[in-house]
Amino acid sequence: MSDSQRTRSQTETRTTGSDQPLETTSGETVEETKDEWVEYDFQGQAKMVAEDLDVYYGDDHALKNVSMEIPEKSVTALIGPSGCGKSTYLRCLNRMNDRINAARVDGSVQLDGKEIYQDGINLVELRKRVGMVFQSPNPFPKSIRDNISYGPRKHGDIDTGLLARLLGRDESAEERELVERSLKQAALWDEVHDRLDDNALGLSGGQQQRLCIARCLSVDPEVILMDEPASALDPIATAKIEDLISDLAKEYTVVIVTHNMQQAARISDQTAVFLTGGKLVEYGDTDQIFEDPRSQRVEDYISGKFG
Amino acid sequence: MTREEFQQSLADLRADVLAMSDLVAERLDRALTALETIDEAAARGVVGADDAVDRRYLDLESTCIQLFARQQPVAGDLRFVASSFKIVTDLERVGDLAVNLAQYTLAADRKRFEKVDLSSIGDLACDMLDDAMAAYRTDDAALCRDIAARDDELDALCQRASERVVRELIEREVDEGDSWAVEELMDDVSRLLLVVRDLERVGDHAVNIAARTLYMVESDPELV
Repeated sequence: MSDSQRTRSQTETRTTGSDQPLETTSGETVEETKDEWVEYDFQGQAKMVAEDLDVYYGDDHALKNVSMEIPEKSVTALIGPSGCGKSTYLRCLNRMNDRINAARVDGSVQLDGKEIYQDGINLVELRKRVGMVFQSPNPFPKSIRDNISYGPRKHGDIDTGLLARLLGRDESAEERELVERSLKQAALWDEVHDRLDDNALGLSGGQQQRLCIARCLSVDPEVILMDEPASALDPIATAKIEDLISDLAKEYTVVIVTHNMQQAARISDQTAVFLTGGKLVEYGDTDQIFEDPRSQRVEDYISGKFG
Repeated sequence: MTREEFQQSLADLRADVLAMSDLVAERLDRALTALETIDEAAARGVVGADDAVDRRYLDLESTCIQLFARQQPVAGDLRFVASSFKIVTDLERVGDLAVNLAQYTLAADRKRFEKVDLSSIGDLACDMLDDAMAAYRTDDAALCRDIAARDDELDALCQRASERVVRELIEREVDEGDSWAVEELMDDVSRLLLVVRDLERVGDHAVNIAARTLYMVESDPELV
């Protein structure tokens, strides 16, 4: 934990449990502080750290003062009702919000201790390290093989064309190895190894989503962000994605947004609950959140009594 | 409030567990009265009525499993269903112990050890069970801890009663030549000691119920 984060945590400790609205150092009143349990001491290292993160879409204050550490090599689930800010938070982690013109982000997000919201950061490199898988499978209208090798070619991770030939490297062998490794990691190899040149759009929805995960893995990311990755899939395909996520967490840091509370309970190591208004209300071990949440509002939400 | 049907199912479960506990407590009370008054007809009634307790136990177990499978309760709801699932097992065992007590009544000559105070032990065990179920009904964590503390008192009473039986046995003059009389006396002693042991177990089940209730109310596994 960084010194700045420790200070932040101590502030949370002081404010948590008070009956009175409190003032932050900036003088702004914090409401409902007594029901927030966002301080979370986990085992191991933080891969990403968000501090005092605010996001505005025009006049809409979509994410409010969120501070949260993401432990490395584990699955962190973000849950909450629609419009609570969980996807907004997810998109901050690889600066996907930059693509929305009206979006403004204040605060800090660090990857391995390095600020990603500083000027001059290479966004292509950032999104290679922090990959993303979306709700609907979105393979390129190309072959299965090309879907995997497109990214590494763009990033120059596999030699292509003339350079490879001049250096005497077997381009296709390198590509073959990468495609096979990525598809195996995404638990798709056995189903597609004999039709790698088929168009990816011919795969089933579940296979397409695993292909998208394989495509994300092919550029060797460190963090994988998933926004409702199984919501468009049937139970069997969902189960395969869930198994895959658990496997991936052995090597990668996975952050997943899901509306499916049971899915969060099944696959995540820690769970962050965002509630309406763009606030992180509780963050802790998934076991604790689903067995004994500290916040009454979180209890009501996960028990289905909310609203 | 959403999920109203589910919330009603939880309220029904609590009411049904309490109804089962009323049934079990009534059987236990009748068994103890039969033991004290040497009422063989009452004792037979307790033995014959055990099926009703078992049926309720199986029904409630099935209800809990259905709630887990179909409603996937979490947080306080999860702790309530999980605790209820465990508590009905304790209640079923208390029902079995009531049957045991009734059977000892049918078999033993209670007059032989009149000085052994079984009623105080029985009253305390029944009170602990009643209070455990009251704690479950009203989510009373303080009462749960109180029940656990009273278990030491019950254990001490049981210990003293057992010692008293043994002391009386030592002091008693028995005609060693009358093998029938000796055998009968030994049977009575062992049955009386079993009565004491079973009443102690009723207290243990009351503590179990209090422990599950404390977990249900405060997520505190302290007594489990």
